[in-house]
Amino acid sequence: MEIVVCVKPVPESETRLRAASDGMSFDPEGVKFVLAGYDESAVEQALLLKEAVPGSKVHAVAFGPPPRTEEVLRAAIALGCDLATWVEGPAEPSPDPMTAARALARALGPVPHDLVLCGKQAGDDESGLVAAALGELLDIVDFGFVVDLRWDAARSCLTFRRGTEAGEEHWEAPLPAVIGLQQAWNDPRTAKLPAILKSRRAPIAKVPWTPFPPDVGRSVPEKFELPAPRTGARLIEYKTPLEAAEKLVRILREEAKVFP
Amino acid sequence: MTPRVLVVGELAGGHLSGASLEALGSALSLAGAASGVVGFLAGSGARAASARVAPAVVRAATDAGADTILVGGTTFGRDLIGRLAARWNAAAAAGVTELRAEGGGVRVRRPVFGGRATETRRLEGPRRVLALRPHAFPLPPEAPVEVRVSPVAVEETTAALRSAKRTAVSAVSSGSGPGLTDATIVVSGGRGLRSPENFRLIEELAQSLGAAVGASRAVTDAGWRPTSLQVGQTGKAVSPQLYVAVGISGAIQHLVGMVSSRVIVAINSDPSAPIFKVADYGIVGDLFEVVPALTAEVRRVRGL
Repeated sequence: MEIVVCVKPVPESETRLRAASDGMSFDPEGVKFVLAGYDESAVEQALLLKEAVPGSKVHAVAFGPPPRTEEVLRAAIALGCDLATWVEGPAEPSPDPMTAARALARALGPVPHDLVLCGKQAGDDESGLVAAALGELLDIVDFGFVVDLRWDAARSCLTFRRGTEAGEEHWEAPLPAVIGLQQAWNDPRTAKLPAILKSRRAPIAKVPWTPFPPDVGRSVPEKFELPAPRTGARLIEYKTPLEAAEKLVRILREEAKVFP
Repeated sequence: MTPRVLVVGELAGGHLSGASLEALGSALSLAGAASGVVGFLAGSGARAASARVAPAVVRAATDAGADTILVGGTTFGRDLIGRLAARWNAAAAAGVTELRAEGGGVRVRRPVFGGRATETRRLEGPRRVLALRPHAFPLPPEAPVEVRVSPVAVEETTAALRSAKRTAVSAVSSGSGPGLTDATIVVSGGRGLRSPENFRLIEELAQSLGAAVGASRAVTDAGWRPTSLQVGQTGKAVSPQLYVAVGISGAIQHLVGMVSSRVIVAINSDPSAPIFKVADYGIVGDLFEVVPALTAEVRRVRGL
């Protein structure tokens, strides 16, 4: 099975967010970028499938600026991906998810891809657009919010579950397919030191990026705002539990107006 | 130039879903008048196959001369917009909490980084597709209008013809209440409840409020309640109008999943618990006394 896994560098989750000096976007200066959380699950899933289906290869693909994009591709190689392709994107302004999806699709077109795995969304912009857009651009089916993805060798199909408003859906799908994965149902492995050292010299195929024509839609960042620091809860003073309950209900109805 | 908007309506249990009504309401304010709004109704089976629905929606939007497509922020909507934007060569934004038309274009605001920041983006190009964040927009007033209905032929793309099939749907295990990510009010319980039996205090309060039940990771890790109820970084992200955290200390991994709720109430015996830093209102006290009193008071005012 030729498995492609799309990865994206995102700021480490403990990063202290700040706006760039022009106030238009997130300031990446001095920020440590890592493999996005959902993408980490996607890499783990790709490696599990590779181990389960003999003769499989895992190909990590990323779109973005240097050096962080190259770094997450090397992290994916250290975890066990066989090949890596880097679509070199511009640093500023940081491209939007649809531009990323179109660039990735252009790079994936000529590459074998039975199964394309993505995290369901990245932890920074949280758009969740790439998997579905790739499905359309590659003209194959896609499913988001997927957990418990397995390969049924006897029937040559993928099986998986996905949570929707209707309940938990159970699915069977033939290849090729694009799958957007939920996090935390598998326990992603960590890379071992020899593999990390070896990944530094591993070849990465580079694909140049050319902008799309102006009639292709895109979004441009204009403002990045941090919320006013929360001042902490207004504590309700009370003598009896009943008094606490009465005061809270009155506040929620009359002041916060959150229930009738 | 005001946008001409196509709204994708999604059926849930035979009715237009709440998320679709919100999309309709925001479309009416974006287009300025009902005449600029076109509806597209996806049947209840359509949830299954965005690859089949997307070509029909794009066809309907093009036929109607629309330049903007709006969908509600359900899993169906979130799955659909990526395909729509790709097929229509459009700009796209998901999780939108504010939008306005400006000079022929559209500007959106949306929370990013798990609600820790908000970004404003300008959507450029002649077409755009937007998915709204649930509960961020008011429902439209009821105003009967005359509607012309036309069927849309579905183009059979290669992707649509592949025979993926849904083999089963099992009910969400949270019981009879609203779905966690869909709910207007969420009541969550944490380690402070001390035992799985005591979790019924949370369920009773939720029932009185018509709320969904959530849980902290400590609760689901301990197996007191299924992981489908977990709110947080590794569980579900919720943004209800009201979030009530009971016996939850407020680890960062939990806060990430609920901090964008409109109003947050914390009930905890430890006044130094981090949950009180993000909450709007707090009760420091014994949850075993406060929660039953609160349930009784809510029942009383709601006449239950």
